[in-house]
Amino acid sequence: MSTATVWARRYGALIRNAWLVDLQYRAAILLWVLWGVTEPAIALGIWWAIAGAGDVAGYGRADFARYFFAVMLVNQLTIAWDSWYLDRWIREGELNFRLARPLHPAHEATADNIAYKARSGTILLVVWLVTAAIWPAVRLPLDPARWALTALAVLLAAGLRFLISFTTGLLAFWTTRATAIMELHAGIAMFLAGRIAPLALLPPPIAHLATVLWFRPMLAFPVEVLTGAVTSTPELLSGFAAQVIWLALWLAACRLAWRRGLARYGAVGG
Amino acid sequence: MPAAISAHSLSKTFRVKVRDPGLSGAVRALVRPRYREVQAVREVSFDIAPGEIVAFLGPNGAGKTTTLKMLAGLLYPTSGSVQVVGFEPWTGGSAFKRRIALVLGNRQQLVWDLPAEETFLLNRAIYDIAEPDFRERLAELVDLLRLGPVVDKPVRQLSLGERMKCELAAALLHRPPILFLDEPTLGLDVSAQDAIRRFLSGYRDRHGATILLTSHYMQDVTALASRVIMINRGRLLYDGALEALVARIAPTKRLELVLGSPVSAESLATFGAVHSYRFPHAVFDVPREAAATTSARLLAALPVADLSIADPPIEEVIRLAFAEAPEPE
Repeated sequence: MSTATVWARRYGALIRNAWLVDLQYRAAILLWVLWGVTEPAIALGIWWAIAGAGDVAGYGRADFARYFFAVMLVNQLTIAWDSWYLDRWIREGELNFRLARPLHPAHEATADNIAYKARSGTILLVVWLVTAAIWPAVRLPLDPARWALTALAVLLAAGLRFLISFTTGLLAFWTTRATAIMELHAGIAMFLAGRIAPLALLPPPIAHLATVLWFRPMLAFPVEVLTGAVTSTPELLSGFAAQVIWLALWLAACRLAWRRGLARYGAVGG
Repeated sequence: MPAAISAHSLSKTFRVKVRDPGLSGAVRALVRPRYREVQAVREVSFDIAPGEIVAFLGPNGAGKTTTLKMLAGLLYPTSGSVQVVGFEPWTGGSAFKRRIALVLGNRQQLVWDLPAEETFLLNRAIYDIAEPDFRERLAELVDLLRLGPVVDKPVRQLSLGERMKCELAAALLHRPPILFLDEPTLGLDVSAQDAIRRFLSGYRDRHGATILLTSHYMQDVTALASRVIMINRGRLLYDGALEALVARIAPTKRLELVLGSPVSAESLATFGAVHSYRFPHAVFDVPREAAATTSARLLAALPVADLSIADPPIEEVIRLAFAEAPEPE
């Protein structure tokens, strides 16, 4: 059997299992989807009220509506929970059997991400389409080029957030506070990645910091591509370049943490 | 025939952070961490031939699991060398992992919320098992482990024994020649323990697998393993046949008598060391070589209704073996 077929079967089996587990927790999924809708809805509510008095930095009410609906969708398509899983695998010894089988644990994590994103992304896309049908403000132009660019930006952002989460989870090899570090990162990202306000509304030095670091590439940039805030070629190129560079850097960090972590695991037991 | 598993001067030292109790201790550990070296395994060497079943015995913390993890490639030895079916475990990669099964009694690979058959299907894909092989092996495992009624129930609804059987099935679908089993019967009831033992010995006979298992239960050893490796405080205490160990550690045989009528304790003592006496049961511990003659004398002189000769219980032998071991410096 060809290598590609073997991998297709492995991923197929992993994704299938992830979905079967999901079906056991239907209520939990509903709660997660609600959570995914609530945060951008609250942010939108606040900005909607503020923008009632006139545009804020060029953003009118309809712009905010489009922005936060895009945040809702892109966030669900790029979010990664791997630090929680890795932390548990490492601390509770569940990594052992994973290390003893001929499949790198990162593949299981990747398959889980695909399964999760396909499921929540589909649900939220439906939510959006239904909303767009009755509320024209959140409608987006059906321009194939823009959707293709958005898909690429979302894919890179998903890869980046996966690596950040996976690498942070690997810190469990050294500390029992890996998930706390991830929480801290999530807190910072709330502001710097554009979850509670478009980056254009942040004070310029902070917006600059978000652009120089990996925060804009991990969420705000794909949202801006989708909403049409970024359209010029130089802006697109620099945005994608930042995504690729941070992806490569986090990949390097992840590999280093994995190698060092395993050596340490081997040195202290588990 | 080359050894299936070969360990030479295997040692493992862990560096453990030392922390004094209380808040001040925690702060001090943060500012100036102190470490202590713990020698989990010291200079352990052994060879295991293909098809052997070897039991690894030792009290908690003896270094059994650490050794097992080194053999399975999860831990790097501090020094020494290991070869398992021709591979160095921690550099063997996928090719090595396809040849071993590692079952840790307290950590399961079965997906908790799904029926065990889903994990079987997952392993079929992970180990790239051809469909006809998969069906044949699964049918064999389901039959031998009597899994028919349980494979389609969610794992969380299974009893501990059913779960361990499913765990073994999941671990053996790729038909590995080497099995590392850490406490495979831990916490199981007697009949489940027995079923697992019968299965393991049948599996070895059928497929020539080499099995190394750790256990607390003497029954695992007496029923399964032709050979025991005893380790305590990381050192190898004994490596060989169980019978030879018993002969060395326990140079006595146990004579158990059922008396037809009461006899005074003093007159019993003239025949040898009385282990216990409570009419009608009398138990003697006599030197091995004197067992036959002492039995004859007892039968001639006392109103004996029944008499049996046995080795002392294996638990006692093991306890004696560990007690006899020199303290490490």
